[in-house]
Amino acid sequence: MRFRLRIWRQKGAEGGRLVDYEIDGISPDVSFLEMLDVLNERLVSRGQEAVAFDSDCREGICGMCSLVINGQPHGPDRGMATCQLYMRRFKDGDVIVVEPFRARAFPPVKDLVVDRSALDRIIAAGGFISINTGSAPEANTVAVPKQNAERAMDSAACIGCGACVAACPNAAAMLFVGAKVSHLALLPQGGPERDRRVLAMRAQMDSEGFGNCTNETECEAACPKEIKMSNIARLNREYMRASLLAEDYTASKESA
Amino acid sequence: MGVLSSLLTSSIGRKILVALAGLLLCGFLIAHLGGNLLLIYGEGPFNRYAQGLEKNPLLPLAEVGLAGLFLAHIAVSLKLRHENRQARPASYAMQRSKGGRSWGSRTMLLSGLLLLSFLVVHVWHFRVQEHADGLYRAVMNAFQSKYYVLFYVAAMAALGLHLSHGFQSAFRTFGLSHPRLLPMIRKTGFAFSAAITVGFALLPLWACFWAKGPR
Amino acid sequence: MGLFLGQGAPMSAKLDAKIPSGPVDRKWDKHRFELKLVNPANKRKFDILVVGTGLAGGSAAAALAELGYNVKVFCIQDSPRRAHSIAAQGGINAAKNYPNDGDSIWRLFYDTVKGGDFRAREANVYRLAQISNAIIDHCAALGVPFAREYGGLLANRSFGGAQVSRTFYARGQTGQQLLLGAYSALIRQVGKGQVKMFQRREMLELVVADGMARGIVCRNLVTGAIESYAGHAVLLCTGGYGNVYYLSTNALASNVSATWRAHKKGAYFANPCFTQIHPTCVPVSGEHQSKLTLMSESLRNDGRVWVPKKKGDRRPPQDIPEGERDYYLERRYPSFGNLVPRDVASRAAKQACDDGGGVGGTGLAVYLDFADAIKRLGVDAIREKYGNLFDMYQHIAGEDPYRAPMRIYPAVHYTMGGLWVDYNLMTTIPGLFCLGEANFSDHGANRLGASALMQGLADGYFIIPATLGGYLAGSKLPKVESSHPSFKEAERLAEERTRRLLAVGGSRTPADFHKELGRVMWDKVGMARNENGLKEALSRIPQLREEFWSNVKITGSGAEFNQTLERAGRVADFLEFGELIARDALERRESCGGHFREEYQTPDGEAKRDDHNFSHVAAWEHAGEGKAPLRHQESLDFEAVHLAERSYV
Repeated sequence: MRFRLRIWRQKGAEGGRLVDYEIDGISPDVSFLEMLDVLNERLVSRGQEAVAFDSDCREGICGMCSLVINGQPHGPDRGMATCQLYMRRFKDGDVIVVEPFRARAFPPVKDLVVDRSALDRIIAAGGFISINTGSAPEANTVAVPKQNAERAMDSAACIGCGACVAACPNAAAMLFVGAKVSHLALLPQGGPERDRRVLAMRAQMDSEGFGNCTNETECEAACPKEIKMSNIARLNREYMRASLLAEDYTASKESA
Repeated sequence: MGVLSSLLTSSIGRKILVALAGLLLCGFLIAHLGGNLLLIYGEGPFNRYAQGLEKNPLLPLAEVGLAGLFLAHIAVSLKLRHENRQARPASYAMQRSKGGRSWGSRTMLLSGLLLLSFLVVHVWHFRVQEHADGLYRAVMNAFQSKYYVLFYVAAMAALGLHLSHGFQSAFRTFGLSHPRLLPMIRKTGFAFSAAITVGFALLPLWACFWAKGPR
Repeated sequence: MGLFLGQGAPMSAKLDAKIPSGPVDRKWDKHRFELKLVNPANKRKFDILVVGTGLAGGSAAAALAELGYNVKVFCIQDSPRRAHSIAAQGGINAAKNYPNDGDSIWRLFYDTVKGGDFRAREANVYRLAQISNAIIDHCAALGVPFAREYGGLLANRSFGGAQVSRTFYARGQTGQQLLLGAYSALIRQVGKGQVKMFQRREMLELVVADGMARGIVCRNLVTGAIESYAGHAVLLCTGGYGNVYYLSTNALASNVSATWRAHKKGAYFANPCFTQIHPTCVPVSGEHQSKLTLMSESLRNDGRVWVPKKKGDRRPPQDIPEGERDYYLERRYPSFGNLVPRDVASRAAKQACDDGGGVGGTGLAVYLDFADAIKRLGVDAIREKYGNLFDMYQHIAGEDPYRAPMRIYPAVHYTMGGLWVDYNLMTTIPGLFCLGEANFSDHGANRLGASALMQGLADGYFIIPATLGGYLAGSKLPKVESSHPSFKEAERLAEERTRRLLAVGGSRTPADFHKELGRVMWDKVGMARNENGLKEALSRIPQLREEFWSNVKITGSGAEFNQTLERAGRVADFLEFGELIARDALERRESCGGHFREEYQTPDGEAKRDDHNFSHVAAWEHAGEGKAPLRHQESLDFEAVHLAERSYV
């Protein structure tokens, strides 16, 4: 197959443009990222610099791959990461526009690579259970209703790729934050830090410069793990609860 | 930082504020539509209703409250909108929905601004200006202008579009996500926006094409 | 259990495994009591460098920071949450015996030693089984959403042919959930300032000062800057080396560089030839393939494996009549049939393809047929059991497995070999520790399913916090900063290497060399090895390496984000390391676990172990550039478990 690729090239943090590349001899059975590998092999052979893009596991679980393909984060398929997209999904001769995830909170690094460490910083603010190694009780002393464990797992399936931010018209990170808040709020183990967690993660999220959720549901549609909007609703609920009921709001903020 | 100030400064808090104001305004819409429908009963009942309202000593208080709601809803929305713009300084060369957005959600700003301009004209026309012949005649005369009717109907269509997203979005912002309740809210939202649009838009159309002037 | 001399082998003073005395089930407690402790107030005076943030690195960094050490953590990806532990699907073993089906610490220990074909240290394996239960407790407390029964307690399943149900799981994403648990513990310490996180850093050199590991030199992958970090101990938690085969189920960035550079600074490399091949992967579709994807082994419960009897039969599988199909596993192993262990199934598939029976475009695949199962159980039952896997297959291969049989082929999946470590997880370089898949591990010659996650977390959460303290409290560690001459020397080496790579200016890309190395490794040092093939590999790899250094082409510069350069550095190390695997495979003249030498098999084609001559760990010492490495032995002594043969006929 043959394609016309329009790929975003950018050296440093500023400036960049779409550059056109023709590529042919592509089997429909190669993945989208393998097609970019082929392009890079050819570019390097010709003495040109390879297109920088992130990827690692290439089986849809590490969350390292990104890309906005023809205007859609992770390409046209639902519930799939870019690394799980195959060229048979395109028509011979298609023009394919490839851009990085764009958001103020994801500053560009090079070409299609962006810095998503803002997401780590949000988790560092409270996306954990504070327990030191060695102090855990016997696992079966805490029963977790099966349906809660299942719903917690639905939320915990997030791979932290940032597609929700990339897809959101407002570049909001509410689905990412909502998924972590929900995961831990649904488990009894997460209970003691419930209020403190949501307040601290919200504060960090805002300070990273993400936009505000307007319930467009684009995030849910773009999520490779099909994390549901209900996680955002739960985040809102948890936040309201914590704001109104947390007894010592100031203290819980400072210690967070 | 206290609860109230966090409500005004945090992303989620401000969204809750917008949603709360929006839903209260929905309540106002219902009351307003109820009053408007009295037009059909003719000059007497309608003017009696209007004068009753005007004479009520609590009216100024209600009007200030209403203005506050509008102001909060609009100002905070615009502020959020501005931040959302800033959250993506470099825009995509190509952006295509994966199936989440609706026409309502896409056009919130547009429909909102149209409604704002309508609001200014509407308040000027029917609230600020004096109506020597009574409000009934003022309304029925105004609806003789096809342009005005068109503007009015367009604004009501925008209102419907605005509500089709806003209604359910507000409930989501309040944290509603129950798998059975949420579809009901969505349907209710659509029905509500349709009813409001049709209800408000019918009156000018009726006045202009059916009643053909005051009677 | 002590250290015994192998058959006339040179006994190296360095290979003291430091296994505590006493009965196997008392060793760890005894050892922990005997280890010196670091005073709580002194812990903050120690800087610990942790390289890698998978299960081992993430958990170690978190646990050490909780104790009060200053920890610096380095990872190659943009976030510590991306390490390849995340891709593990099946589960994690523990000897909880919740199902009341006869499991115990002793049984998990026994199964692991036997499954490893008696090439692991008894004391280490026993400790692993002992710790397994605490891992589950800790992970549950960290909020890992393990599968549960309706009563709210933890669910178990049987996995990888085990006769007891001891595997804990979180859907098919156990590795992801355990890793995210360790990541959350780590990132909590980052928030507290106890851990300093360095993303997108690749370790290029280990710094050894006064005979002790005292720091690392990294390349900042964003800016290209060479950076030095000093500490009192270095922990390598950098995973396995399966990517030496080019195609494997590993992530793209998985590499051997960190452990290899440490090896060249004096750390012995143990049992590199022990590699595990997983039988049920989606086969290679063409030359541009970048990785192989694993499908759960459970597929073999209902699928029948076959190839056409006629060589090169190109008819669609449905058109091949029953009489012209060779169900070779059922034919060769009548009692186990399609459920023979991983290594046996893998070798049989290779054999069938080598004999010309392979199917698909490349001829490197066999059929896994569900037609009978669908007929017997109905398509709905099959969909319910394997729906996700069938969808995944259809997505990757573009074929509907409900209509046509799947095509599968084995792929490199896990590496049991790694840096040699003693009972304290310390390598032959004092102060350099190695954890998880990167060390030569507790799995012997073959790893059982759901044991990798257990080992990584045991090393990180529970073993290293105890043993590292013992080292720090018992060593004199003079102040060493990154201005020390050994750092300058290591930086110079790293910079020099980058300069050399960029200066070649040849015509072949790094990936192209990697691909060719992978072919040599897979053909000659793959599932079944023989002396001639290994010798061919030993002559071919140095040639390829030479060509690499004279003909590799790398664009861009060293002072920027440059993925071509990163790749080149890793491939250069694989080109050296591949030779060591071949050498180790050549010297190990027996078949055991993942290492199958064609010369050493029973008449019916089964692996033939040689306990008399090879019941030892082979640990390789780097003897200098251009010199043959030295092979040392650590004898393995079995006191608690009796040596027995595996048979599946």
